[in-house]
Amino acid sequence: MALLIGLGAPAARAADEGGQLDLIGHASDGVYLDFAPFGKVELPRIFLIQDGDGNWDVRAYASTASALASGQYDVVTGEDVHLPSDDVAGIEELIASHEHVYAELVPADGGRIVVDFSITRHLVFGLLAAVLCVIIFVSLARRYARGIGRDSAPRGIFQNLFEALIVFVRDDIARPNLGDKYARFLPYLLTAFFFILFCNLIGLVPFGAAATANIAVTGVLAMFTFFVTQFSGSRDYWAHVFWPPGVPVPIKFILIPVEVLGLFTKPFALAVRLFANMSAGYLVILSLIGLIFIFTALFGSVVGVLVSPVSVALAVFIYLLKVLVAFIQAYVFTALSALFIGMAVEEHHAHEGHTPEWHETLDHDAAAAPSLPLSGDGASIAGSSKPAEPAMAG
Amino acid sequence: MSFVVAAGLLEPYAGLIFWKAIAFGLLLFILYRFAWGPITKALTEREQNIDMSLRKAEEALAEARQIQADNARARREAEQDAQRILREAREAAEKLRTEEIERTRAQIRQMQEQAQAEIEREKQGALQALRAEVADLAIQAAEKILAENLDPARQRRLVDDFINQLPRN
Repeated sequence: MALLIGLGAPAARAADEGGQLDLIGHASDGVYLDFAPFGKVELPRIFLIQDGDGNWDVRAYASTASALASGQYDVVTGEDVHLPSDDVAGIEELIASHEHVYAELVPADGGRIVVDFSITRHLVFGLLAAVLCVIIFVSLARRYARGIGRDSAPRGIFQNLFEALIVFVRDDIARPNLGDKYARFLPYLLTAFFFILFCNLIGLVPFGAAATANIAVTGVLAMFTFFVTQFSGSRDYWAHVFWPPGVPVPIKFILIPVEVLGLFTKPFALAVRLFANMSAGYLVILSLIGLIFIFTALFGSVVGVLVSPVSVALAVFIYLLKVLVAFIQAYVFTALSALFIGMAVEEHHAHEGHTPEWHETLDHDAAAAPSLPLSGDGASIAGSSKPAEPAMAG
Repeated sequence: MSFVVAAGLLEPYAGLIFWKAIAFGLLLFILYRFAWGPITKALTEREQNIDMSLRKAEEALAEARQIQADNARARREAEQDAQRILREAREAAEKLRTEEIERTRAQIRQMQEQAQAEIEREKQGALQALRAEVADLAIQAAEKILAENLDPARQRRLVDDFINQLPRN
């Protein structure tokens, strides 16, 4: 199998031999599955190519190595080394060093890769999460269809576990935000919740990677929320965007771009929040482990050994935190999606109610501020929000 | 431009967006079609079932309480009835006894009266008879005295004899 070419070689060799460990490279996507220290499994490469004559072509290879072996690609590696496609020896050397999976391929015939449709690590683990979702919930649905859980109490840890989560999404996410329209959007919210949760949890498994630690994946998820929101938007929602109520006409022309921008910032925030949270844990753990090597390099191996228990303890703590974050982020994404959809489908007839709500929120924030440890700012905010109080005014 | 493999963290990867959109859309469709429907329906049905069962149980409890109250009231009424009947029976018995005694007394009195009347009548009859007897005897004695012109001693003896001949009572 061409897929198994990379297997058996130590992947972290670059780091072991005094090279550099590419943290970002590890945290980001790649066209291989990393089973260090057992090796890497390369994934298929698929390119949409426009060649030098302007013809479109889709080319697929079982692995990066076989794409390189085809002799159709020049290679640009991270160190700005350009290997022409006819440098067979150089390319073989690159493949032997297992660095080729990081290399950029450039068609040798003067064309360009328009879109790289290659199967990547995050796609594989995302698909794994999707397949897990399908297996678990379709079998769960059949269980319910058989009557277990419908006519009787749910049985077994499997059914009870997922039922608790499903009921949580329904009663604590969908219902409060969507009201009586919750049933229409519940399937989407459940799918998003469990897909994100499974992706996050797969990221905690050794050799696994969280597909949600990829901005493209979270972007797609946010896009789904965006489309669901826009397609289910009520008349009130669009009226609110394109003719904001309760403000003078000149202000409306300022608000309209802001509101339109708001349509896009919401899903953007969703995507970035999930992506940043999921990749941050990974980076923090790698940084904490990296401290051992930094201390070793700076102060010698004795200090490195002494630092390592602290580093490992902190890394374990972050790891446990990641378990929590896996659930929290799945919840946050779903809850915010539900909130956005809820705002879009809501049909409120009293537009005047909007402004007082806004002020209420401001007052609430101002009142909450003095409890912060930043007493200087807090006092000034409290003073501005309660000008009648003589002590503050003095 | 091309999308390099080991892209920076922040660079969205077009191929991945494409595949992911398809994959997630497919996932959404499959789960929507085969999983969430039956699951949420079953959950709703079960919740309604539980709600209904609880309501039924409450109704049954209320009914049972009602029946219990009814029973208690019925028992109390029955007890009162029984006591009343007993009392009435006692009263009836008492009345009956008094009446019986009254009747007996009246009977006795009547019998006494009858007896006294009888006695009186018998006495009157006896006195009548005695008087007639005595008159007869006196006449007979007078006849004998007149018939036997007797001396006084003899007269005395005659009278004594006569008297001795009389029945003792």
